[in-house]
Amino acid sequence: MNSRERVLAMIDRCPVDRIPFMPITMMFAADRIGVKYGQYVRDYRLLVEAQLHTAERFDIDQVSCISDPAREAADLGAEVRFFDDQPPAFDESQALLVDKKTLAGLKIPDPLGGGRMHDRVKAAALLKERIGGDRIVEGWIEGPCGQAANLRGINRLMLDFIDDPAFVQDLLDFVVEMELRFARAQAEAGVELMGVGDPASSLAGPVIFRQMLMPAHKKLVDGLKAMGLRTRSHMCGSTKRILKERGELGYDIIDLDSMVPLSAARMNIPGGVLLGNVATVEVLRNGSVQDVIDAVTQCTRDAGDLYIVGAGCEVPRDTPEENMLALLEFARSHKPGAMTVVA
Amino acid sequence: MSLIKDLYDAILVGDVKKAHSATQSGIDAGLGPMDLIQQSMVPAMDEVGRLFEAEEYFVPELLLAGRAMKSAMELLRPLMIASGQKLGTRIVIGTVKGDLHDIGKNIVASMLEGSGFEVIDLGADVAPEKFVSAVKESDPRVVCMSALLTVTMPAMRTTIRALESAGLRHRVKVLIGGAPVTSQYAAEIGADGYSENASGAVKLVKEVCSAA
Repeated sequence: MNSRERVLAMIDRCPVDRIPFMPITMMFAADRIGVKYGQYVRDYRLLVEAQLHTAERFDIDQVSCISDPAREAADLGAEVRFFDDQPPAFDESQALLVDKKTLAGLKIPDPLGGGRMHDRVKAAALLKERIGGDRIVEGWIEGPCGQAANLRGINRLMLDFIDDPAFVQDLLDFVVEMELRFARAQAEAGVELMGVGDPASSLAGPVIFRQMLMPAHKKLVDGLKAMGLRTRSHMCGSTKRILKERGELGYDIIDLDSMVPLSAARMNIPGGVLLGNVATVEVLRNGSVQDVIDAVTQCTRDAGDLYIVGAGCEVPRDTPEENMLALLEFARSHKPGAMTVVA
Repeated sequence: MSLIKDLYDAILVGDVKKAHSATQSGIDAGLGPMDLIQQSMVPAMDEVGRLFEAEEYFVPELLLAGRAMKSAMELLRPLMIASGQKLGTRIVIGTVKGDLHDIGKNIVASMLEGSGFEVIDLGADVAPEKFVSAVKESDPRVVCMSALLTVTMPAMRTTIRALESAGLRHRVKVLIGGAPVTSQYAAEIGADGYSENASGAVKLVKEVCSAA
């Protein structure tokens, strides 16, 4: 069973030879090949090299196009600040939608239009070409709340939920349509699994999530599935109060950040494939090998058989190699079914 | 007194108009700014903080309450300055150089202001020199620094060193926070404290200020 088959088997509830291993690597991957992150996010060829190297070294089951949240926004004309060796970021004071009226005139960018979205599509194509069928190629789009926050400014958006929900609805509709178009381009380039990153969803609270964000996510994930894509939901932060809702959305893989007890996730999402959630800084980067083993052992006890090994969020740069290898070794040496140890 | 309760309720539910009008009514009825701050605003923001920790309030409710509180302070601050009243122990807060994330910092700033502190918010991407200038010019009791990325955390160390080089380190307590920050890191760089959440940050500021 190769990596791609393992991930698909887990998603399809078929037997696997061992627990899949799918940590998110971005700066960690760039550092592995000595590339500054500012270059990684702007040159798909460097991203591909880093992903291939890192996946090979740590036997990671996916290679991913994930890089930063500013691709779609940049192509829309948002002010994006680029740094030498860290992810691009938004200056909220210059957000694209400081003036709400700007939304009406926004046009969805062409994902093949030579911009940052196109760079990701090229990454997808090159990953597919280089990896063949050995590992699953994971694309990436921004989730509804996260992208809305990128465009409007997160502080403003959080107030908009209460002050102007009609505007937020229009913004979410625009975002979902844009992300589906971006996803399709990546799918046509060879992506089979689509990651949806939504770091802001955890901030709005369960009422707003149910009323406004859940329908947007549902439209998004249904649209992705209609394209034949498998789906992965990544929401940073505490999603303790929206676990049931996350389970109802239909994502194939549900990432949990470290502050969410996997036992609670399993109780609320009994039949879902859970991924995570070793604490990234405290354990994976700063802990000992034994700390990592203890943490992932607990994860498997709490999550049960429908489980993929990973960290709560991005693997931090400067994570010791031995800690990543410990995580890998655990995945390699265990398989679902009362956590049978693989000989 | 119903005016006290009106302002408390208005802040708790994030009603800017009612907070503004309740404050004005309180002033018109002869209530002093400190009465309104201590009897309405601080208890209201304490309750907001408690609800946020209990995961009953979330970021929208917190920001709404903060906005309502600020609308009240817009009326009270000029009165306090005019009468020479101290605005409250001064705190400088900012997100460090290279980091544009500010929502956590904004929440802490809002809760500190609601607790009666005078907050000088330097914003995001704040260079060490700017923290140093703020300490020189404003003479705060506490400097709070936030970082959301492991790559920007070193700027916290650089800022503390800058305060040392400027001969100012002994004048302030330095507290740090942000998702990747740990108590271990705080000890390593010589910070005076660390909090993993907004309510904890406010409690810590109160503790260091009362210990002074």
